Amino acid sequence: MTRNISPFLLEVVKNALDTIADELAIIIMRTAYSSIVRDAMDYSTAICDAQGRTLAQGLTTPLHLGSFFDAMQNLIAVHGDRVRPGDIFIFNDPYLAAGQHLPDIYIVSPIFIGDTLEGWATTVAHHNDVGGIVPGSNSIGSTEIFQEGLRLPLLKLYDGGVENGAIWDIVAANVRVPDKVVGDIKAQIAACRVGEREFRALFGRYGAATLRDCFEEIHDYAERLARAEFRDIPDGTYRFTNHIDGIGENPEPIVFNVALTVKGDDIVIDWTGTSRQIKAGINSPVPFTKAAAYAALRAVVPSEVPNAQGFTRPITIIAPEGSIVNPTAPAACGARGITGFRMIDCLMGALAQAMPARIAADGNGGATIPSIGGFHERRPFVFVETMMGTWGGTATHDGQEGVAHIGANQSNIPIETIEAEYPLRVEQYALIPDSGGAGRFRGGLGIVRDFRLLADEAVITIRSDKRRFPPYGLFGGKAGTSSWNILNPEGPGRRILPVLLTQPVTLRKGDVYRHVLAGGGGYGPSLERDPELVRRDVILGKVSVAHARDAYGVAIVETTSGFVVDAAATAALRAQMATAA
Amino acid sequence: MPLSLKIAADIGGTFTDIVMLLADGTVAMRKVPSTPDDYGRGVVEGIQALVADLKLPASEISEVLHGCTVATNAILEKKGARTALLTTRGFRDVLEFRRIRVPRLYDPLYRKPEPLAPRNLRLEITERVAADGSIVTPLDEADVRRAIETLRREKVEAVAVCFLHSYANPAHERLVAEMLRRELPNVFVTLSVDVLPEIREYERTSTAVINAYVGPPVATYIRNLETSLKRAGIGAPLLVMQSSGGILDAATVTSTPARIIECGPAAGVIGAAYQAAVAGYANVIAFDMGGTTAKASLIEQGRISRTDEYEVGGGISLSSRLVKGGGYALKLPVIDISEVGAGGGSIVWFDKGGALKVGPESAGAVPGPACYDMGGTAATVTDANVVLGFLNPEALAGGTVPIKAQLSRDVIARNVAEPLGVSLHDAAWWVHVVADSNMMRAVKAVSTYRGRDPSDFVLMAFGGNGGIFAVELARQLQIKRVVVPPAAGVFSAVGLCVAEMQFSQSHAFLHRLSLLAPETINAALDGLAAAVLAKLQWSGKPARTHRTAAMRYVGQAFELPVDLPDRPITAADLRSLAAAFEQEHMRTYGHRSADGSDVEIVAIEIVAAVVEPDAARPQPHAAVPPALPLPGTRLAHFGPAGSHRTPVLRRAHLSERPTPGPLIIEEYEGTAVVPPGASAWLDHASDIIIDVGP
Repeated sequence: MTRNISPFLLEVVKNALDTIADELAIIIMRTAYSSIVRDAMDYSTAICDAQGRTLAQGLTTPLHLGSFFDAMQNLIAVHGDRVRPGDIFIFNDPYLAAGQHLPDIYIVSPIFIGDTLEGWATTVAHHNDVGGIVPGSNSIGSTEIFQEGLRLPLLKLYDGGVENGAIWDIVAANVRVPDKVVGDIKAQIAACRVGEREFRALFGRYGAATLRDCFEEIHDYAERLARAEFRDIPDGTYRFTNHIDGIGENPEPIVFNVALTVKGDDIVIDWTGTSRQIKAGINSPVPFTKAAAYAALRAVVPSEVPNAQGFTRPITIIAPEGSIVNPTAPAACGARGITGFRMIDCLMGALAQAMPARIAADGNGGATIPSIGGFHERRPFVFVETMMGTWGGTATHDGQEGVAHIGANQSNIPIETIEAEYPLRVEQYALIPDSGGAGRFRGGLGIVRDFRLLADEAVITIRSDKRRFPPYGLFGGKAGTSSWNILNPEGPGRRILPVLLTQPVTLRKGDVYRHVLAGGGGYGPSLERDPELVRRDVILGKVSVAHARDAYGVAIVETTSGFVVDAAATAALRAQMATAA
Repeated sequence: MPLSLKIAADIGGTFTDIVMLLADGTVAMRKVPSTPDDYGRGVVEGIQALVADLKLPASEISEVLHGCTVATNAILEKKGARTALLTTRGFRDVLEFRRIRVPRLYDPLYRKPEPLAPRNLRLEITERVAADGSIVTPLDEADVRRAIETLRREKVEAVAVCFLHSYANPAHERLVAEMLRRELPNVFVTLSVDVLPEIREYERTSTAVINAYVGPPVATYIRNLETSLKRAGIGAPLLVMQSSGGILDAATVTSTPARIIECGPAAGVIGAAYQAAVAGYANVIAFDMGGTTAKASLIEQGRISRTDEYEVGGGISLSSRLVKGGGYALKLPVIDISEVGAGGGSIVWFDKGGALKVGPESAGAVPGPACYDMGGTAATVTDANVVLGFLNPEALAGGTVPIKAQLSRDVIARNVAEPLGVSLHDAAWWVHVVADSNMMRAVKAVSTYRGRDPSDFVLMAFGGNGGIFAVELARQLQIKRVVVPPAAGVFSAVGLCVAEMQFSQSHAFLHRLSLLAPETINAALDGLAAAVLAKLQWSGKPARTHRTAAMRYVGQAFELPVDLPDRPITAADLRSLAAAFEQEHMRTYGHRSADGSDVEIVAIEIVAAVVEPDAARPQPHAAVPPALPLPGTRLAHFGPAGSHRTPVLRRAHLSERPTPGPLIIEEYEGTAVVPPGASAWLDHASDIIIDVGP
């Protein structure tokens, strides 16, 4: 720390950079066209230094943490001296441009102060559709990236201020909903322009020399803070195994094996023993694997670690090449989000052993994503929703219900908006009693949602999980219930669909698609649960009288004054269950 | 005797401010302790005390204006009514799911707030309306009767009804209301379509439930206050501030109590807008800094900015913030106020990486800053200001709060200067600057985040600490002028006195502009106008209306408000509306659609305000303050601008000719700092004007 930057100036500049990154994010949120950007908020913005290292990130999606670094290193390596004022780059390809998956389109622009490159305004947003074999471009069934839609290597959408119209034409011709994709890209460009303006103002105020020193100090500070936190985690190697159910009608489990080693203030995350890459669209390019590790570690440390590149310096990630967490071209990766969620869940299982009070038992495993597409009244439609979510119990309270996965803080789309904009009717959206894993603190309940098709015909693809391997409990807590995809659950033509569809399924008018979300895992032995909490759950209709007896050993009787705990019967029941166990 | 004698009572955590605006504009004020066991008691006692001070008979009071915290407190303290919710079958958990997103990233231990209507009191009714308003499943009245039995058995005090798509067809909600009111006449009933006839079921449900939850306590409070006022010989009508900044009669507020949540900060912005008009400023950023938070709000072309994305009890509410979901969604018009945790009591600390942080933790009123000598061991922003010489070293608040400056010097030295190896004054200065950089976020959230350039605005600073930070903040934002209005320390109460009687209502109106016929929108506007104006009829005065359309490009999710002419809309108006929208889009977001994307209206809104005669709108000016000793000069430290022996003045010592800084202007309820390079003068409206200089 030879730089002459006071901690005060550092804080002031850091505040200013965070404010800019947030401003970019707000601009995209308010101007975007597609619901996945505006409601699911599946996008991120950042301000980077001249070397492309993130200084501040306008975070809306936790799994985008660190997502700019590899892409920016690649861009700088490839374009180097050819970057000039007025350029705006566009790219999405994981192999050609170190992107994440094809629907995530990056728009980044260099910021020059005078003739010197001083930084970058960067954005990435998940677009509604980038072509490929299914609407939404997240086909599980893709076996190669060539089937997944439009691949954009590093391209200059604007070259020295001159627009390259051909790129717009190619994009528009290759996607199913060009107005939304083009509108969202424009929102990203608008954000970059504001980023440039604000970044310039910062240079006007503090000068280049001071700010360059500040930027280095921000990285060092983030590293110091991360190391201070990691030192508080007990040394050791913590292992955990978790699964994705597998693909298609006869799923083969996909194994995630992690060994997380804490030594002093360094952390090594080793995925050796994890399944090989597969011929399906859920392989996770290594930048995404890194993002999952960063997100999990940030979640378990109490400090507000800044989203600056320096935070990642103490973290080493070993991801065997050719595995599902570091695939080689041309592995498909359109639906790799599920793999990111599972990496976080697996890391949390490992971290639970080191810091049992800082984590929750397993949740529903991230978004279930149905894509329903077709034509209605001669207009194309693609409906994509991210359905979440429930968490497991913790050392101090029950699992939360109606919450996003820690890796993707996404919103639901209002039912009324769905029905106003798509030929769909939602027929229920409700908690499922008895679905939370039993424990001293209960897992959150699963959620059920029914969609009825009002158009003549449509196709559906679904990305879901946690049927064969439901959310795990911790320290004696039970697993939650499994997830299900059911066609026409109440009527003739009832049919169970796989968790991960490789082929779209055709829906006819009147068909109902039901998704049952998994319940969260419990924390601690269920016989230690306070009977009063069980009674409260019964009153609220979250636990039935039968489940209270069977899972918790609590005898609840309904009297004229409501539900009461039969203390004597409960004691007897619990003694009997403890012996049996 | 003046025609109109308004007295205002603004309840705060510690003090209740009573302000009377005399016909000549003099602001008479009195601070009395708040009475949390029954806030109304403090209000009545305070009014009696002020009236006695002024030797006025209580019967001369023409209006009692009130900003009350009862609705907010009911939610924060979980002391609202026992509230039930009736929903469309299959959807009782919508309230609990919210929008799924959580307010904090990376926190596996986050806990959601409990729903205000518990799950066992959320009852489902068989019925269904489609998005176009057509009835898919008729209302099952037997279901409703069963629900009524449950409500009776469970002794609920309030019930909200929210059915899907009721904004498009309210028939089922209205039928249920009739049955509820017939069968349960003592239960407070709220229909979602009455409080928020707009699309998005969670927001509408939540708003209706909040209204029901606070309904009974607000009704009780207002009834009791009216009784106490009458008993004290004050027969004047009671008018209550809404969070939108308009005041309403007590009866209307009692039926839509969700409209008065968080009205205190709103009153301050109303005061700022009024004072700005008097002083002749069209574009103002209102900046209110007290003990725990700093707030900012935008006044543009004399108009207040409003938002409908508020959450009650969500903690500090940074306008436009990305991550929402912390509180209870309330989608009613509130003044768009951005708040950050930076006030006089904000605590200075270091994180594990060695970064210096200021707030959001606050030392509060107890133990307060170290200099209060009440056991506070943390360095606070106020301690830094004492070290810098900005605050009186003997006592704050006009001598009412004695302090020990040495304790501030000790704590800043021990907690900040020594660990960093810097001088005491450098340490204090930088605490001041970091606090400023936090506040900048609040100001930017209401300005640059919305495409506005702060340098086009003046900064109007009020609240106890506003005047201390305003110049530094203005300089960073390229703002050239700071205005410190009279009675800045009781400015919310002043705002109550000058607020307009106002009511607003929006209604879903989903139409593509290209397919919209003038008669369709005119019919909708006329219907809405009749409903809105009816709410102001009691005043017996004429009202003007302001009409806006919430518009967006087809496919966007967020709308921008665009003004509608206040006359029947013609086909030509509709054409120019598209252009007006595009212009607003360009101004706010820096781009417009190049390819002629279609534009749609999502909702229409009408704000109606009672037109007051000019005589009822005096220019507020400070009353002659209680005699305070004049400290003369003291040494103050301005960071890079050096240390200076600085004159300490009262507002009355300034003149229309600029006095160059450094200066410190100490008043009964606040302090203004004029650093070197800036200069201060007094305008015709008794504002301290500070030209911030380079």
